[in-house]
Amino acid sequence: MTAPSIDGKLVGRRPNYRLRRSLTEAAALALAVVVLIWTLVPIYNIVIVALEPHGDVFTNDIWPANPSLESFWIVVTEGYWYLEHFWHQFGNSLYVGVATVILTLVIGSLASFSIGRIRIRYGWLVSNAALLTYVIPASFLAIPFYRIMHIYGLSNNLWSVIAAEVTFATPYAIFIFQQYGVSIPIELDEAARIDGASPIQIYFRIYLPLMAPALVAVGTYALLLAWNEYLYQFLLLSSKSSMTVPVALAQFLNSDEAPWNYMMATAIVYALPPVAIYYAFRGRMTAGLVMGGVKG
Amino acid sequence: MSRLSRRGVLRGSLSSMAAGSLARPFIANAAAKTATVWWTQGFIPEEDASFRQIVAEYEKATGNTIDYSLVPFLPLTQKIVSALTSGDVPDVMEYNVADLALVPQYAWTDKLTDLTEIVEIEKAQYHPTAYLATQCYNNVTKKRGAYFAPYKVFVSPFHIWNSLVEKAGYRMADAPTTWDAFWDFFKPMQKKLRDKGMRGVYALGLQATTTGPADGNDTFHAFMIAYGGNDIVTPDGAPHLDDPRVKEAVTKALTYITTAFKDGYVPPGALSWTDADDNNAFHAKQMIVDLDGTISTELALYHKKEQYDDVATMGLPNDNLGRPVPAQLGVGGVFVPKGARNLEVAEDFIKYLIQPKVVNGYLKEGLGRFLPAMPDLVKTDPFWLDPKDPHRSAYTRAALLGPTVPNHPVYNPGYAEANAQQVWGVAAADVIREGMTPQAAAEKALKRIGEILAKYPITAS
Amino acid sequence: MDDAQVLRAGVLPGPSPSVRLRRRAWRGSLQGSEFTWAVAFLIPYAALFLAFVAYPVAYGLWLGHKPALYAELVSEPIYQRTVVNTVLYVAIGVNLKMFGALLLSGFFMRRRWWVRGLLLVYVLPWAMPALPAFVSIHWMLNGQWGLLNNILWNIFGIDGPGWLETSRWLALGSVIASHIWKWMPFWTVILLAGRMSIPQELYEAADVDGATGLRRFLHVTFPLLANLYLICTLLSTIFTLGDFNSVYFVSGGGPALSTHVLATLGIRDAFEIGRPDLGVAAVMSALPLMVPLVILLMRKLRTTEVQL
Repeated sequence: MTAPSIDGKLVGRRPNYRLRRSLTEAAALALAVVVLIWTLVPIYNIVIVALEPHGDVFTNDIWPANPSLESFWIVVTEGYWYLEHFWHQFGNSLYVGVATVILTLVIGSLASFSIGRIRIRYGWLVSNAALLTYVIPASFLAIPFYRIMHIYGLSNNLWSVIAAEVTFATPYAIFIFQQYGVSIPIELDEAARIDGASPIQIYFRIYLPLMAPALVAVGTYALLLAWNEYLYQFLLLSSKSSMTVPVALAQFLNSDEAPWNYMMATAIVYALPPVAIYYAFRGRMTAGLVMGGVKG
Repeated sequence: MSRLSRRGVLRGSLSSMAAGSLARPFIANAAAKTATVWWTQGFIPEEDASFRQIVAEYEKATGNTIDYSLVPFLPLTQKIVSALTSGDVPDVMEYNVADLALVPQYAWTDKLTDLTEIVEIEKAQYHPTAYLATQCYNNVTKKRGAYFAPYKVFVSPFHIWNSLVEKAGYRMADAPTTWDAFWDFFKPMQKKLRDKGMRGVYALGLQATTTGPADGNDTFHAFMIAYGGNDIVTPDGAPHLDDPRVKEAVTKALTYITTAFKDGYVPPGALSWTDADDNNAFHAKQMIVDLDGTISTELALYHKKEQYDDVATMGLPNDNLGRPVPAQLGVGGVFVPKGARNLEVAEDFIKYLIQPKVVNGYLKEGLGRFLPAMPDLVKTDPFWLDPKDPHRSAYTRAALLGPTVPNHPVYNPGYAEANAQQVWGVAAADVIREGMTPQAAAEKALKRIGEILAKYPITAS
Repeated sequence: MDDAQVLRAGVLPGPSPSVRLRRRAWRGSLQGSEFTWAVAFLIPYAALFLAFVAYPVAYGLWLGHKPALYAELVSEPIYQRTVVNTVLYVAIGVNLKMFGALLLSGFFMRRRWWVRGLLLVYVLPWAMPALPAFVSIHWMLNGQWGLLNNILWNIFGIDGPGWLETSRWLALGSVIASHIWKWMPFWTVILLAGRMSIPQELYEAADVDGATGLRRFLHVTFPLLANLYLICTLLSTIFTLGDFNSVYFVSGGGPALSTHVLATLGIRDAFEIGRPDLGVAAVMSALPLMVPLVILLMRKLRTTEVQL
């Protein structure tokens, strides 16, 4: 939006328009600096521990005396015994993450389509029941989960973790889909129905494409949940070959002496994919939403 | 109606023949079966490799299969609790601190299998303290029995930076040999080091913490025992919280620790140190002395020769009257939950495991972080008392050749709960942060312990 | 130009007559095959729910059903402290977090390149795995050798306090700050998406009417965001009540067991003391707070369906 002007000079409805604008800009800049520092200080600590050649965590410096990238090299080349299977475990995490995203999106969107678009009679019961998942916190459900996974024959199996993650992500997915679904007028569905489309066609041709931004948002949430969650992963996975990276990271806490630089380097390497994915999809998400708001 | 088929009988007899031909005295004839085992993951890869080899040798010798998982210590604790709660248990579980946590409590509620027969086989070999540590009380049968089979032990020695001591102008050879004087010896070094520019250095790494599984309690108990309070719970399980000697010991322990703290000789962060934080601080040379379990502190420096040689490992000094102070001996071992599906194989495997030569081989691969529970081994195998490694030899001497006492939870599982409630860490914090007098804090702590122990009455046996 | 844009351009808040009509027409008028489809679409979630929610929750409830447990729980001195901590943690944590998210979502609406770059950095806490991030914060806050005090000393010459060891309130504050650090980006993104879905025409209309800045926010943005904000707050409260990682790894419940919250107390009772039944009881004792929240959330979501 351009500021109104007469003869090229800025004219505001209020006096000192230009001054107010620069003050706002300055305030925004100050806020940005505060946000930057607030966000980065703990991450900075992670980085400097990763760069510390002896993995010393307690020093009096604010930058390591002899920074070294050796720990990253060790992580990438699986050069330490806790990291022996790092890439395999990374693959496990990826597998769990992708499966969680797909299942959450599918199950969640199907359910919210049924509840919100087809408007099945007692649909609200299902979405409310979904909420019950969150009444009992995840940390408490760990022991019962451990038991039922054994009963279902899924001990030490990645699918037990996938099931757990999908269970915790789907209610949230259903809510988000309900929320976003509200802004897609039901007339579209009606029109399609009049044209003879079956629900499944409406689901694929109308609902999913219009829900794209919500799908991306929920998918990102589900991915990060599965990627970084660790309580269930270490309870349900015991062997090095089935472990995911968060569990591998927790191994470092096993000993009271671990090379913390390797641990933090692992954390940094592990955090890169979600950041990359978020960066890749953020554009699409924003574009989808902004497009919706701009008048043609 | 008999369901034996000819093939079945043939197979069965062939396997028992095979087992019989390879049988050794400790193996009962069992048809080839599988047992699930949960084992603590080692601190270095060699330990795990050694365990894998032990399993392979056992499988070859008996034809049984061992389905094992190597799990790091903290998750293993959680898995054991989850398993014993839900009833889906493996056949064998191994635990580093079996005498201190979990086993006494689960033995109390009759969730574990009595292993007395197995332990008796090796009884002559065991250190008497280690043997005593297995006698947990079962509140259902109202009897004591051996509920875990021990094989490794450890104590908490001192870890001291020689270079810091010398930088402050002192020598370890001059260190006094009585309790208070020994600890006081390090205090003036702090100022000298700070005067030389080491801004954040502290003399004493006293772990007055309530976080982390054991360190806060271990530190306190070392002092308590040094001041004569070991009888706070006696081997029959009876608490003696009103015993004036115990009260005095407890008060003195709290006084010393909190005074050192308030006088600024202990890093203030010690109040919320996690299990690793004291090691972090020690490695960064932020303190001169650390009292911590096992020699993992030194072994972490194993490949940095200079630093490895710089640390001095010492057993406990004498008490203030010159008498030796017994160290609390931590005992680790294996146990079998009730409901284990393959009891035979489980017990068979355990018998194999606790043979001295198997134990020796395994623990040596771990660089001696844990010591064997059989004193004869350290006397015959030169590895343990090797004078070329002052850390290991001092550690071995302190654990197996010096006076030791078992941890109190064995006598009464309620004490395990008291430990878990961090009663002593809270007491220290009461004095340091709330300004209570050590007497008042001691009374409060003893009262709390009394309440907890009241839930675990043990009839004399 | 696709259908969404066409239709969104004409969307305004408030129920319209066609909506009410639609509700009456649709209720109970599902034809046979549609009904089958609807049920079929629900089956995956229903199966998931029964297998992985109903059964574990029932089992968990069964673990904690003895009244004697609650008596034992309440008699422990640590319990009352824990309840107070939990209330503070949730009340302060959630509100500061959401308010900050609201503020920052407005900030991130700006169309500058450096704002967009900042957003990417800002979401890093959410993307980092919790365990190493919180362990790092624990080290960072160490009173003697942590990064924070090193920075304060080296740059400002201030001798920083022991953040996690001096006092319960400082430690609790540190834990709350850690929680906010990790989760505020997540809610900011949600609210940002909410803001972006507000049609631009409304802002232009407001500009013509002379509303700028704060008034624009109060009269245009906030009314439209209010519902989303409330739902997010409720959801965040529920999540925060169960948040275990922040307290466990940053303060460990210290100093002297004074910063435990119900979630960490539950885990501690279950695994450190070896009494899972007591741990379940600790967590269940939050139900009187949880259930009204959940009911409120359910209600809110139902009215949302009707509104637009």
